[in-house]
Formats: sequence, C-alpha cells, structure tokens
Amino acid sequence: MSAAEDRAAVDKVLAGDTSAFEHVVRRWQRPLVNLAYRFCRDRGRAEEMAQEAFLRAYRSLARWRREAAFSTWLFALATNLYCSELRRIPVTTVGLDSIEPRDSRPIDGALADEDRDRAVRRAVFTLPQKYREALILFYFHDMDIPSAAHSLALPEGTVKARLSRGREMLRSKLSHRLIAPVLRKEA
Amino acid sequence: MRNDDFDRILSKEQEIIPSSGFVSSVMNAVQREAAAPPVIPFPWKRALPGLAAAGLAMAGIFVAGVMLFVERSGAQQAPATLSSAFASVFEVWKTVGASWIALALALSFASVKVSMRFASGKK
Repeated sequence: MSAAEDRAAVDKVLAGDTSAFEHVVRRWQRPLVNLAYRFCRDRGRAEEMAQEAFLRAYRSLARWRREAAFSTWLFALATNLYCSELRRIPVTTVGLDSIEPRDSRPIDGALADEDRDRAVRRAVFTLPQKYREALILFYFHDMDIPSAAHSLALPEGTVKARLSRGREMLRSKLSHRLIAPVLRKEA
Repeated sequence: MRNDDFDRILSKEQEIIPSSGFVSSVMNAVQREAAAPPVIPFPWKRALPGLAAAGLAMAGIFVAGVMLFVERSGAQQAPATLSSAFASVFEVWKTVGASWIALALALSFASVKVSMRFASGKK
C-alpha cells in the first residue's frame, strides 16, 4: 500500500465508508505497535496503546492536512498519545544495579555483548522522560532527526540537544557497569 | 562508550508482530465509535453572553473592592504592619461578600464540569 492508497483509504473513510479504515490499520499496525513497545516494553500494553492511537486517528482523520505524509501525521499523533499515556502511568523501571548478568561464569564474547546491550537498553528507561523520548524516536526512525522531530513536534535543534544530553547521561550511568568486567578479568 | 556503540546497540531492537486479533479488535472499536451518536459540543455561542456578563460582573466587583480598600486605608492612614494590611483586605472581602461569590463560582464551575463529563460520555 502506497501513500496514494493511504490517501484513497482516508477519503473513503471520510466519505462514510468506515470499513476502509481497515486498510490503514493493516498497513500501519506493525510500526505503531512496535513504537508503543519501545516506549513501554510490554506487549499487551503496546497493543492497547496502538489501538487507542488508531481510534484517535480515526476520530481526527479530517484534521490531517495533506501537505504532510499520512505516516508523519500518524506517527506524531501516536507519539503524542504514547508520551502522555506514559506520563499518566509510567513504566516500572528496574535500577541498573539490580540487573544481574544472566550467567555468573566469566564473561566473554557474545555473552558480554548481550549483557552490555541489555544494560544499555535498560539504562534508556532510567533517563528522564524527555531524553528517553528523543532517543526512542531517533532510533525508531532509523536515526533520522527530522522524522523524530516531526513525531515529537519539536524543533530539530531541540531533538539534537536532547539526544546529545541523553547519550551523555547514558554514558555516565553505564560507565562503572561496563568497566566492571574488565576489572574482574584483571583481578 | 562512543555514540557509534549506542547507535549500533539501540538500532538493532527486536521487532514484535501484532497479535492475530489486533486488526479486528481495532476495527470493532472503530465500528463502535462510528455507531455511537456524536458528542454534543459545548454550546459556546449560547454560553458566551452569560460568560461575558459574569466576567463584567466580576470586574465590577473587583473594581468596587479595590475602591473600597483604597477609601478605607486612606481614612485609617496607611497600614503600619502586614497583619493590619491583611485585616483591611479581609474587611473588604467581607463587605463585598466575596466568600459567597467564590462559593457560587465554585459551584457553577463544578456543575459545568459534571455536565460536560456526562455529555462526553466519560465515567
């Protein structure tokens, strides 16, 4: 389904054919559920939030101004909803120090990488919301700052600044944790 | 850690696939939404004259209060202490019956909020 088909489906819905909205849902269900999942890390809640986003999109279809792509409008609407939903009921985050390595045997190669990756992803959830949102959107949009800025309805400069500060905070949160295996090896 | 490391780790997120019933669940919700009667919008046009009158009345009361306050404090000299200033404000407050006005406004606000909540179908 292309952008033109998105427009056609929206036109049909606006003309009263509610069932045409199914095309929109089928096309965008995966990105919207995955975006929600990145925000909350809970599959069930991600689907609930995505459903609410589709419902809200359905209600406000008439407000989509055609100069922006349908996807841009939809992602901005969904992001707005997800952010406010998570402000209302925040994700329960686990402190970094409470995450134990999966295996107590000496850390090497793939296992060390896996633990480090896990720690980095968890660390994102310990960041203040505005930095977390910027990081999540930036990586969701394949590191495209304009798209992340559109979704967050923020200027690109603000998103860049938040990304930079967010990464800095991640680095400082993770520094002791990522040095630890090296120190253990040396001992 | 360098930015490249963060980019590499955070870009390779696992993708989840929506459950098989997701589309039908969304469409059921959409159909329900389509079948529901439209939400009655708040009648701003009708309410506007009343709101404007209330605003004017409030402004009038405020001006009257300020004038009364200035008149009294002029008659009693300037208040020497903070407590006497509060006492004269309280006196003006009592004279213009501001407590009753505040109570009436709070009740009106609450009744409008409740009506709007019922009208929008929220519990």
